Amino acid sequence: MALPLPPGLTHAEVAFLCEMELVTVVPRQRLESIKLLSGTTTPLRPPHRADLPLWLALLLKKQRRANIVPPPWLHPASLRDLIHRETKIDPEKFSAPPPPPARADRSRPGQSRGLYSSAVADSTAFSPPFLHSCTAAAPSGYLPYHWLEMAETLLSHAADDMPAPAGEIRGLVRDLVEVRAAKMRAGIGQAGILGGEDGGFLDLTGVGAVELAENRGFVLGVVDGVRKIGASAEASRREEEEMGGAEEEDDEDMGI
Amino acid sequence: MDIDDILREVDPISNAVPAETRDLQALTRAWVAERSAPELLPWPADGLFERINDRIKNQIEKVEEMTGDMDPKTNFALIVIQTELERYRYLVRSYLRARIAKIDRHTLHYLSTDALRSRLSEVELAYATRHQALLHNHYLSSFLASFPAPLQNLNDASANINMIDSPDLDTAVFVRLLRDTMVESRGIDADGALEGKDGSILILRWSDAKPLVDKGDAELV
Repeated sequence: MALPLPPGLTHAEVAFLCEMELVTVVPRQRLESIKLLSGTTTPLRPPHRADLPLWLALLLKKQRRANIVPPPWLHPASLRDLIHRETKIDPEKFSAPPPPPARADRSRPGQSRGLYSSAVADSTAFSPPFLHSCTAAAPSGYLPYHWLEMAETLLSHAADDMPAPAGEIRGLVRDLVEVRAAKMRAGIGQAGILGGEDGGFLDLTGVGAVELAENRGFVLGVVDGVRKIGASAEASRREEEEMGGAEEEDDEDMGI
Repeated sequence: MDIDDILREVDPISNAVPAETRDLQALTRAWVAERSAPELLPWPADGLFERINDRIKNQIEKVEEMTGDMDPKTNFALIVIQTELERYRYLVRSYLRARIAKIDRHTLHYLSTDALRSRLSEVELAYATRHQALLHNHYLSSFLASFPAPLQNLNDASANINMIDSPDLDTAVFVRLLRDTMVESRGIDADGALEGKDGSILILRWSDAKPLVDKGDAELV
């Protein structure tokens, strides 16, 4: 009855999460709105676009009731731009995650505010897969958290809806995967060698869910292993710091 | 209804996110956190699970009603509803199972203090107590009874070694910051502090990440 899986999401669970991402579809048939547990779906009226969760979009696609509009970041031009950025402009870090969705603020013309700023106020901050980062309105040139799963799913189930031949996109996605995997390994190497010198944390901003799931066991193993090896060094450092702090105070007292 | 009402309906800012989506976000977050954290997290206090269970029950009733009429048009809606119901139930089930796995591993630890006991829901507390009692009786009847009385305890803390196994709270975890905040962390050679940006993903020790997660400034990924 208890869950036999080790801590951390598995690939299947990450894919499950990804299926909650909203995607844009162009319906071919009318479908009234359906009351679901996660809210009411928008009614489908061809040829008006609508945003639906990926699992529902895939169901409609399989039954040829709708076509999926691929997100702008999956366009070959955007992917090429991303590969260029990942390899040439910033070869150390992952490219930045998409900016939080924002809308023009009607009370302050020329300004914008976060789409969910009102939600933040009552302490529900939204995070992937609820960020609308895979709809047709998402910005191009940014990889959302679930980018790899989304690309894979769309390429295998909606290849005919892609803006370019699926093979070309698949090739570009593979390139991107490899560039980023190399970065991940380099980052872990750094963590292993530097250990505590960076102050006990490692910044992986921009990393994707699958990339995390793939490397979780290894990364956490390395970080925890280094911690255990250095545990006695850390304990003595803390002790010294406490003693040192006390001594410094003593010195000051003497000076006065 | 005037023009403002119409504008409000199409404007996503004032058209607040529906409560259902909020609850799904909360449930998803709780599930991911429970799957990733090294220790048991507090049971959601704001009645999240009562709401979710009520909704699931209503949806099941609706499915039962809809199965009656076999009109091909509503039939597709039924398929969608059932698919979603299964997805939702999977989330709930996986969440509860992940919790039970943790309770099973460190039963005595979670029963040892009131602060830890309060993390369990009523049902979980009943389960843990009963399970531990059964286990203890079994140990007693099979071998513990033949030990001398001072050695029969299962929660001895003498000689600075505690018999109760507890989870390692310094295990590294991945967190995503949900708003700009200061992150402080302990390392081996130095302690660090970082001006964290909204949306950045960090590897931290769970003991350093816990205050951020409790405040809602960060979530586990």
